[in-house]
Amino acid sequence: MTGWRHFFAILPDCILVLLGGAVTTIEITLGGLLVALILGLVIALLRRSSFRAVTALAVAYVEVFRCVPVLTQLFVIYFGLGQIGLRLSPLPAAIIGFGLNGAAYLAEIYRSGIESVPRGQSEAGSSIGMTKHQTMVWIILPQAIRVSLPPIGNYGVGLLKDSSIAVAIAAPEITFDATNLINQTYLSTQIYLLMALLYIGMSLPLSHLVRRLERRSRRGVRA
Amino acid sequence: MTPTTLPQYVATWLPELIAAAGNTLRMAIFAFLVAICLGLILALTRLSGRPILAGIAAFYVEIIRGAPALALLFLIYFGLPSLGLVLPAFLAAVVGLGMNGGAYVSEIYRAGISAVDRGQREAAQTIGMTSGQTMRYVILPQAVRIVLPPIGNYAIGLLKDTSVASLIGASELTLRARDLSSEYFMPMQIYILSGAIYFIMAAPLSAGVRYLERRLRQGR
Repeated sequence: MTGWRHFFAILPDCILVLLGGAVTTIEITLGGLLVALILGLVIALLRRSSFRAVTALAVAYVEVFRCVPVLTQLFVIYFGLGQIGLRLSPLPAAIIGFGLNGAAYLAEIYRSGIESVPRGQSEAGSSIGMTKHQTMVWIILPQAIRVSLPPIGNYGVGLLKDSSIAVAIAAPEITFDATNLINQTYLSTQIYLLMALLYIGMSLPLSHLVRRLERRSRRGVRA
Repeated sequence: MTPTTLPQYVATWLPELIAAAGNTLRMAIFAFLVAICLGLILALTRLSGRPILAGIAAFYVEIIRGAPALALLFLIYFGLPSLGLVLPAFLAAVVGLGMNGGAYVSEIYRAGISAVDRGQREAAQTIGMTSGQTMRYVILPQAVRIVLPPIGNYAIGLLKDTSVASLIGASELTLRARDLSSEYFMPMQIYILSGAIYFIMAAPLSAGVRYLERRLRQGR
């Protein structure tokens, strides 16, 4: 078991390298989540448009992006756009790719959030003279987003783990750095285990937080 | 004959991509079978009332759900050989995706089993059924109805996640698309084509799950 002895000798260096990668992992996650949060809301609202064509477009967006692997989407954005002259660096390509993909999922989350707001709320809004638009912005959305927070949180935790796929377009995140370390040390078992631990260390506290949020918001609805 | 126009290129790529999509389907089906069996074992173990076994199952589910599927695939494919266990890439992908999916599926089962009204269990015990019989004849048949839509959603996710197996070199659709795009230098067209094939496989499944969701909601 000389491998393990060697591994423990270089463990501090490995941890430092992977923590450096973790910064990029967090950048991809937060960047992708931000794009998805905004674009997802736009798509959810477009889906409620009274223009049939706009609704159909929003539905098509959601279906296409949810039925194609995110890895394929990353490849189209990174390699495909590069081929037609729009060369992105790996990090922005990953943020855009996960953002466009996530928007489809978040649009569905927003949609069920909006549908969960009782119809009386929008009737109340229009009965005090609010326009449809005002009712949406000031009455429906604040309640819908509250309901959507736990599933959005779950999506965010999922994204943190899925960002590992960005290794395929050489974004310098945790998985990429781990693979580089292995190329230098040949300690694949040890370093991939360490990498898995790092992901677990980041995602488990977050998912517990989301579970607490879920319980709290459920209690809030009952009261 | 070397292709010159896009339709000719597509005609060259399509048979290869479709053959690879067959591998993708096979991988998804095998991994799905591993996941639903492992998931059932994990869920029943967690509900068995034996603290140590239940604790191990809960630990497995938490750990697996905390790490990316890719990490598990890398550990199985690149890590196990150093312990003397070399798996071919396809098998490693099936095992990895199945082990990963088992954790998610067990949570779906658990939610389904606990969604069955408590009175059902009490009623079964009143008429003298053992707890094993209660589970088999009363709880599980009702739980299956509840878990079908989320299991379907899991299957759709799995079908797309098989693309990750290309990163350990398992022969499937995305790997084939990568090879073709490095051969023809036309990644845009090839990846969009491969995306379309995924779409054609996943969209009917997704429509089926939505239909199932609506029907089961009506049934109640």
